[in-house]
Amino acid sequence: MRESIIMKIHYGTALGAVALVAVHILMRLTQNYAESLEYANVIANYQFIPYAGMLEIILILLSVHGFNGLRVILLELKQGRAYEKAVSYGCVAAMIGLIAYGSRTIFMVNMGMV
Amino acid sequence: MENQDENKEGIGGMINPRRYGIERVAYLLMRISGLGLLAYFIGHIYETSSILQGEMGWQEFLELTQTTEGHIIMTIVIGMCVFHTVNGIRVMLGHGGVGVGTPARPDYPYKPASQNTRHKIGIYSAIVLAAIAMMYGFSVMMGH
Repeated sequence: MRESIIMKIHYGTALGAVALVAVHILMRLTQNYAESLEYANVIANYQFIPYAGMLEIILILLSVHGFNGLRVILLELKQGRAYEKAVSYGCVAAMIGLIAYGSRTIFMVNMGMV
Repeated sequence: MENQDENKEGIGGMINPRRYGIERVAYLLMRISGLGLLAYFIGHIYETSSILQGEMGWQEFLELTQTTEGHIIMTIVIGMCVFHTVNGIRVMLGHGGVGVGTPARPDYPYKPASQNTRHKIGIYSAIVLAAIAMMYGFSVMMGH
């Protein structure tokens, strides 16, 4: 993929994440901070489908943005065909791994498997 | 090829904030905050997965984070998040050509039009907003 397209994705995921993470943080402030982290409250959050959907979108946006950012930093440090391929594929693999692990939590709690 | 390698400063060159003014400091802070936020994000995903172990597992993990040290780490995360966001928006605007000035003939003392007051204000604003958010976040976490 062309770097210009990757940078557009990088900026798009950043803007999307800023808006959604703001909602995610505001949810903690709708009540007392410690209260909002109580087990029953967190379970209720996950089982509210629109919120769970938002968490899934945040997970994808931040994983893509974060691992692409890491890829850019690593490519700034060193260049070379093999190195660049290893970094790019490594970041994509880590990104997929993190999305899979986070999605597992969201889906299992949302479906009441706890 | 050897000459090219000699001129590479590697990580030392990347983390050196001197020589190029506040823009260089912003470049360094952007990378440090990005890496810090990625590390926090991975930790957060792992932390929240403890809910799958039931109420006991969740409470145990939560107790680890609900300490003064945990709150201090969260305060640093808030600072990194706000700086990365505000400075990121500045960088995006700059890449889009906003606030970088108009092209002109390069005359002595070769002052780059893009490194202007507007962008410097953007960088200082990011630092100030991050500090304010850190103070507010810390007070919320401490229950004030």
